[in-house]
Amino acid sequence: MSRFGCVLVEHFDAAAVERCEPALRECSLAILSPSMDSPNVGREGAPTADKKRAPTADKTGAPTAKMMMVLEANAEAREQGVRPGMTEPEARARCPMLVTRPWVEEYVVAARHALLEAALAVSPRIEDGGAGLVYVDTVGLERLIGDPPSIGRRLVHQARAIGLTARVGLAVSRTGARVAAASASAPVTVIPPGRERAGLAKAPLAVLDLAPDLAATLARWGVRTLGELAALPREGLATRLGPAGLRAHDLALGLDHDPFRPWTPPPFWEEAQGLEWGIDSLGVLALVLETVLERLCQRLAAVALAADALEVRLGLASGGHHARDVSLAYPMGEVKPMLGLLVLDLEAHPPQAPVTRVAVSAHPIRTQAGQGGLWQPPAPAPRDLVSVLARLAALVGADNLGSPTLVDSHRPDAFTMLAFSPPTESEPPDRRWRGRSLRQDPPAPGDQASALADTRDPPGEREHRLALRRIRPARRVDVGTAGERPAHVDARRVVACAGPWRASGEWWDTEAWARDEWDVVLGDGALCRLVRDRLTGHWFLDGLYD
Amino acid sequence: MDDATAGEGALGTGDPTTKRPVPIRGEITEIVGGPSSGRTSHLVACLRYVASRGETAALVDTEEVFDPGLASRAGVDLRRLLWVRCGGHRDVALRAADMLVRCPGFALVALDLGERVPRLSTTLAFRLKFAVRRTDVALLIIGRRRLTGSSAALAIETLREGIEWAGPGAAPTRLARVRTTTRVLRSRRAAPGWPPLWWSA
Repeated sequence: MSRFGCVLVEHFDAAAVERCEPALRECSLAILSPSMDSPNVGREGAPTADKKRAPTADKTGAPTAKMMMVLEANAEAREQGVRPGMTEPEARARCPMLVTRPWVEEYVVAARHALLEAALAVSPRIEDGGAGLVYVDTVGLERLIGDPPSIGRRLVHQARAIGLTARVGLAVSRTGARVAAASASAPVTVIPPGRERAGLAKAPLAVLDLAPDLAATLARWGVRTLGELAALPREGLATRLGPAGLRAHDLALGLDHDPFRPWTPPPFWEEAQGLEWGIDSLGVLALVLETVLERLCQRLAAVALAADALEVRLGLASGGHHARDVSLAYPMGEVKPMLGLLVLDLEAHPPQAPVTRVAVSAHPIRTQAGQGGLWQPPAPAPRDLVSVLARLAALVGADNLGSPTLVDSHRPDAFTMLAFSPPTESEPPDRRWRGRSLRQDPPAPGDQASALADTRDPPGEREHRLALRRIRPARRVDVGTAGERPAHVDARRVVACAGPWRASGEWWDTEAWARDEWDVVLGDGALCRLVRDRLTGHWFLDGLYD
Repeated sequence: MDDATAGEGALGTGDPTTKRPVPIRGEITEIVGGPSSGRTSHLVACLRYVASRGETAALVDTEEVFDPGLASRAGVDLRRLLWVRCGGHRDVALRAADMLVRCPGFALVALDLGERVPRLSTTLAFRLKFAVRRTDVALLIIGRRRLTGSSAALAIETLREGIEWAGPGAAPTRLARVRTTTRVLRSRRAAPGWPPLWWSA
């Protein structure tokens, strides 16, 4: 039984750039860097994992001018003879059609995380082996997916879904799986249990990623393959090479001694794009954002997740940063509504300088799929609703948009605005009430004010209730009284009136209020509600019955 | 709204259970009238009607006059209501209504224009009409005078007929109820007459 799978993406730096610019897949591509201070850079067959690529500096600390060198090349470029370590002119001499791109750390980091997350969709236990290398614990996956080749094909498919072409090896050990993936040409290679030694025997020694001095020693001995290394006597190796020689021998036999270090995904998933020149137009920035969001949504879709919050960080030409948090009202994984929300937010809060780098982070969550009831009335689709709410918020302001919710207070016109999120229960409130007997308890306090209204008024009364058009804030008016009853309102004659209706509240607090309400008919026919503030004695026009 | 219209053909103009006009899906309905004539009461009744069916409504409130407390007492499920306050800006209100009628899924989009109704060109009125048809939303416009002209399928004027006061003595202490009636200004088909209604305060 295979226990580990290894997902390997060759020439990972080039693959990461191809993922961001898919059109480059058909070209001969070389990734250039001003300097390479790691001796492992560009070694054949090994992932270019943790190379340090800081620009070199002279003794005074100032960076020196460097010739651009090939850091990585894709398969097409390698067919033309381009190899890592070449200078750019040398590479162009060998391949005149060579397309070059600078090495961008964001591309590699994003592609590395994307590959890890894609593997995580297959198995809950994975290990980060470096850029372009993921180990997958496949124990128990046979019952879910099938035999080892099926698991391998699933891993290849997951990698392809995020724009990376991977090879997968499956074996009892991680070393065996990695060597199988690195040395074979087929997308999926399986080494059956008990055949590790035979399966690894023909692989070149370079796949073990040994220390340079040890590799040189073994090369002097004429050891070229893992089989030749495995055939050496263990005691002799221990005597001549010490612990490093024993470890190399174990690796050649396909034995793992390092513990498995499970990888857990970060709370936010990020995709970034470096720009060669500054962008000062929102329209152009939207195109870049769309590209970045497409990659982000590919990653989310590959593992069946959605995002419920986005964070945009724009690097500015001035050296500063412009960061915006956009919370999504509904978890989503589609590019279009996300892009619309980001653009609307950036329209309202534009960056202060041209943009040179774009990074978008998404907070992934697992969404619960649900089906509406057969009799459930149609409601706005979350994708449409989020979009229209964002546009309305940009038009009228976020504070002026939402669902009103009554506050538990006797103070007139006491309410707050909540984000609009209509309930999703299949039965409307009236239907729920219809089936409830009178002896049953009233709805819970959280069941909204409409349910409270049901307990106060019989349905017939509620059906035809006179509405009041509130005047906010209540308009102060001059009222002439006859006795205590209003007779004139701002020189308009009061034809009829009723009142007072006395109300007060919160007398124990600094926000105390007390008022007398009068319903009056004015000479022009308007039926109004007048209020006299008993604390100040002022009269206000509270609203108009209509 | 569908049930009400289904029994009366494609252009249903009344709710047989409540005996009052109900806006039509996919069409523009206008309710106009003077102050205290019952326009807003009709609007709240329509919101209640939509919410009672488990559907979603939006209210574009130009002058921010909507009273959630009274609406809740009238039976409106406020959770199903999207309230857009426009701060007195009529052009903003029109643009907000235009956005909302293009979002499928709302059963009712109500536009309360208040006392000062802006001019709307025929082109814009037709644009609203076709947007409403495409998304099958009922657009209800409340105002002092009509806005969309011939684009409205139904236009009604509300009139106040009487007021009843309540109180123990000779001097009333409370407004009891208001009686209003409706007059059809425009209807694409023959509209039924609605009896006068009493609105309880």
